[in-house]
Amino acid sequence: MEMNVTRRQFLKLSGAVAATLAIVELGFDDKTAKAKSGEFKIAKLKPTPTICPYCSVGCGILVYANENDVVYTEGDPDHPINEGTLCSKGTTVRQVYTSEKRITKPMYRAPGSSKWEEVDWEFAFDKVVKNIKETRDKSFIHQEGGVTVNRTDAIAYLGGAALDNEECHLNHKLFRAGLGLSYIEHQARI
Amino acid sequence: MADYIKFVDVTKCDGCRACMVACKNWNDLPTATEEYSGSIQSHAKVNAHTWNVITYNEHETTNGNFEWLFRHQSCLHCVEAACEKACPEDAISHTKFGSVVIDADKCVGCGYCAQNCTFDVVELATYKDKHGKEYRKAQKCTLCTDRLEEGLQPACVTACHTECLVYDEKNKVLAEAEVRLSKIKERFPNANIYNPQGIKGTTTVYLLAEKPSVYGLPENPKVPLSQVVWKDYAQPLGKAMFGVTTMAVVGSVIAHAIKKDSGDHKGGQDHE
Amino acid sequence: MTNHWNDLQYADALMVIGANPAENHPISFRWISKAIEKGGKLISVDPRYTRTSQMANMYAQLRSGTDIAFIGGMISYALENNLFHKEYVANYTNASWIVEDSYSFEDGMFSGYDEKTRTYDKKQWAFKVDAEGNTLKDPTLQHPNCVFQLMKKHYSRYDADTVCGVTGTDKKMYIEICKTFGATGQVGKAGTILYAMGGTQHTVGTQNIRAYAILQLILGNIGIAGGGVNALRGESNVQGSTDFGLLYHNVPGYMDVPTTAEGDLTYEGFLARITPKSGYKINHPKFYTSMLKSFYGDNATKDNEFGYHYMPKIQAGKNYSFMRIFDAMYRKEIEGMILYGSNPVVGGPNSFKEQAAMGNLKWMVAIDLFETETSTFWQKEAGSDPASIQTEVIFLPACSSFEKEGSVTNSGRWMQYRWQAIKSKGESRSDLEITHMLARRLKELYKNEATPAAKQMQALYWNYGEHDHPDIDLVCRDINGYDWKTKKQIKSFGDLKDDGSTTAGCWIYTGFYPENDNLAKRRDNKDTGMSNFLNWSFAWPANRRVLYNRASADLNGKAWSKERVGIEWDGLKGQWVGNDVPDFVKDKGPQDPTFADPFIMQVGGKGYLFSSGLNEGPFPEHYEPYENPMSNSFSSVQFNPAVQFGEKEMNAKGESDKYPIVATTYRLSEHWQSGVMTRNVPWLAELVNNMFIEISEELAKEKGIKEKDKVVVSTARGEIEAYAMITKRFKPYKLKDKTVHHIGMPWHFGYKGIATGATANRLTPHIGDANSTIPEYKAFLCDVRRA
Repeated sequence: MEMNVTRRQFLKLSGAVAATLAIVELGFDDKTAKAKSGEFKIAKLKPTPTICPYCSVGCGILVYANENDVVYTEGDPDHPINEGTLCSKGTTVRQVYTSEKRITKPMYRAPGSSKWEEVDWEFAFDKVVKNIKETRDKSFIHQEGGVTVNRTDAIAYLGGAALDNEECHLNHKLFRAGLGLSYIEHQARI
Repeated sequence: MADYIKFVDVTKCDGCRACMVACKNWNDLPTATEEYSGSIQSHAKVNAHTWNVITYNEHETTNGNFEWLFRHQSCLHCVEAACEKACPEDAISHTKFGSVVIDADKCVGCGYCAQNCTFDVVELATYKDKHGKEYRKAQKCTLCTDRLEEGLQPACVTACHTECLVYDEKNKVLAEAEVRLSKIKERFPNANIYNPQGIKGTTTVYLLAEKPSVYGLPENPKVPLSQVVWKDYAQPLGKAMFGVTTMAVVGSVIAHAIKKDSGDHKGGQDHE
Repeated sequence: MTNHWNDLQYADALMVIGANPAENHPISFRWISKAIEKGGKLISVDPRYTRTSQMANMYAQLRSGTDIAFIGGMISYALENNLFHKEYVANYTNASWIVEDSYSFEDGMFSGYDEKTRTYDKKQWAFKVDAEGNTLKDPTLQHPNCVFQLMKKHYSRYDADTVCGVTGTDKKMYIEICKTFGATGQVGKAGTILYAMGGTQHTVGTQNIRAYAILQLILGNIGIAGGGVNALRGESNVQGSTDFGLLYHNVPGYMDVPTTAEGDLTYEGFLARITPKSGYKINHPKFYTSMLKSFYGDNATKDNEFGYHYMPKIQAGKNYSFMRIFDAMYRKEIEGMILYGSNPVVGGPNSFKEQAAMGNLKWMVAIDLFETETSTFWQKEAGSDPASIQTEVIFLPACSSFEKEGSVTNSGRWMQYRWQAIKSKGESRSDLEITHMLARRLKELYKNEATPAAKQMQALYWNYGEHDHPDIDLVCRDINGYDWKTKKQIKSFGDLKDDGSTTAGCWIYTGFYPENDNLAKRRDNKDTGMSNFLNWSFAWPANRRVLYNRASADLNGKAWSKERVGIEWDGLKGQWVGNDVPDFVKDKGPQDPTFADPFIMQVGGKGYLFSSGLNEGPFPEHYEPYENPMSNSFSSVQFNPAVQFGEKEMNAKGESDKYPIVATTYRLSEHWQSGVMTRNVPWLAELVNNMFIEISEELAKEKGIKEKDKVVVSTARGEIEAYAMITKRFKPYKLKDKTVHHIGMPWHFGYKGIATGATANRLTPHIGDANSTIPEYKAFLCDVRRA
């Protein structure tokens, strides 16, 4: 990986010597408070640069994560646009990971059902591809007025503005060039 | 070491509130969601879990103009700090950075600091220990003293994109503040630098667009004499006489007296 | 954006119209603030007084949906008062071109209108040509039918009094703005226009943007540092997703989708249609063939027209855009819907109707990080009866942007890489992986079939590794393009061929991925001049940072201003040099007859003040929104005559007698889009936890609404309940002959997540722009009452 992040020192306090850290109550409960007091929270973590997922300014963010959790996120000081600063949304990307509301397993809702069921990926993929194939085969127009059109108007595709370029490319390729969808749209239209 | 201060030029603030969540992110603070206020302001004022708040004030100036005034509200880290004087447990102290910090191990949650704070920025948070027993600790902005120790700027300053928040050498900042003040006078004739000398200045200095009272700040705050007497004379004496624990009880009586006495000088919350 | 974020600091005047960067693109303010500190003037034009307005030097209120009136008046003021950049207008725009006599404009209508189809015959707006086909010109700009004179005449009707009577702007402030922004027409000065969805989400949205462009062209503000027409795009990769053809009418790189039109019957005919006779687009056949080669690999050969017939052909003339999808769904023509990070139940217009249409789906696949209102449209909370909805729904959990790797393209066209910081949460997967796994499974299913549907899927060249996790480097290679034989990656789109020997998934990105490098990963933040940071990431096309930068130099190739050097002609070296990658042939010198043709993508190389590209006319003309509170002051034509109507049932219309209040929707700094991500982030939910509407003190008083009251907002589409936010920042519009109230509301809310609230889009009309079909979210009529 070529990501030469410099952990820039923002401030050189002349004559700063090690002193007792001000101990403040940091955690939501006693346990976390004990764990955190006296320890610099990002001391041993190597930041990974990313770009903010929200608006299109394209600010740089450094993600401080350990094996299992995102511990902290901050503006990337080396980034020429935001130079270490961020807005409220960019500042809180950490919670996009930590939010308890994240869905972490595929879910299935049967026709007429009033609830989700957690399913495994194989089940979910199987349902998706079977649905796509069945609808597509049924609705596929090979020729129209003597013209080869190779398309289906019975499946709609929406989305892309929150995806990576590589993902947009594969989506376009699969859904238009491979499956022949005519209804391909995303957020730029609305 | 040179003196450093945090400087808040409210006329550069665009109200984005990154500072509010940058603080929560660094300090791992939980949410403290409030009821709908009728304005875009999220919290009436800072609280135990929200150490800085952007206030939004729809202000009609004396010459009939409209200004939507934003202010980053947080602890000012007074040089003469009423909270420090009020604390019966010596839990509050100044660091070498000028920040006023609360030692959680020493804090007994008596709340005198909160009652006596010149700017109403200290609040008690309630926690539970592993046995489910509740206890309280006073909480407020630390100026990210842990970051300062590591040579990093406070989290709020780091996030600020308009350079409304600056942390830098005091003399340099104050000189620049004067230049900036003269620049904004045309639009904001009442603009002023807020660094109240009655409390020997603050480690967070403001450039305000309007008179302090417009932001709910006291025009000329002082730590009341009674409180100084309490801290610097009565308390050490009392401790010697009665021991530490008892002093909190004595303190309660005196602190109430101080609060009453200092009522006029206290910074209220902002009125939107 | 023609320019980019850091470039904003070089502006002498910044007009923000239809955008609110302080709230929705906050970090842009880092650079806007720098411009202001250097003496630049920030002008905020907005129906409501926003955080941007507070930071501005000047604020002008305008009624939602009246941008063309506002800008038309500014064009007129600049022309009448000689503020325009004469040399630039005469030489770099088509001001001198002479228009056919068949062109006319009378009482709001251009010539060539067909009422039945609501379309114009655009041939009537053609330019006059001589026997050889060369456009006739009058360099003196005096010919009565030259573009300059026609434009001057057209906008002479937009005088300040008429304009302000329509927009509700204070006239004194309006004139002040005309002067301040008009002053950037001076040689060497720069003014920029920043816009966003406040400009586009109107039935005249595209013409709004054209009006901005015309103003910028006459002031000589395009192509220069601190200038430009800058779209502040709303999502991290809405630029990239548009570049990659995720719209019904485009394939990657802004080329057309084949249709059933007769000319498209063969690839040759199709190429002839999409390839103009001059300008850079003459290279379209190279780009298209290379793209087909990337799509179909060995199955794209010269003999089968490079696989052209595998590409789906849409019905000529049919609109397949977002709203039409829901129209078709309503008519039960659509069986399945696949959503990648999309939440139309909150984000779509007249969303309750769109939600109802989803009940006609047989199946839905939703790929997202959190539960969305769309993926749960069948739930009781959504107001649905689950038992009666037979839609099968599959939710696939996606991971977030830093739980995977890949690039996004910002508004300034910088393609920036995001590295993976942590493994994806729980069982969630990247969208790349999901699509790859779908493709592999579908290919497997079709492997042994011989139907045309199977053949299309079999022909698809899917070469990203034989595992569930695709090799992203192979995807990058595919986007960039390579030599089919040697497999070496292509260095520049100039090297692409039309004979099937090269590939390019998206030609405008070709060059970002040369052998052994991915330029999107570059992190050299040294300023290479004019804050263009040429070694940071990669900007398409060709790493160019300011588009049309040839126009930053005068007719002799010298910079208009020494303070704003884009590129300059170096006679000794015989090439263009400077602070940017030239948007021009590098060694094209003064001897070349097209040396002064900076707009290389346009036929004729000039900026088009007059253009037959848009459906409602060659000049932007003011028409009232679909729902409006007053009759049109500029003509007797009330509504944009080229707007096409969709499904009638989806589009109830409100009249001003019942709904007298103008309403608009917008975003907040603390939330994003339909709120799926931000309303599930506790710290953001805390900042703005409730749905509200902003109303003026005057309207509150009239309606007996008090602080913190709950109110009901109603339109012809429905009702919602929200808190009232009574504010001095909203003032009633003082229009020509009446005072009109307005309200505003954020559109982020829905019933899922931590912060919940009513969905504003239940109120918005299901009608769109005459060119882009973007819905008119920004101007409609409502009424308000206490709940």
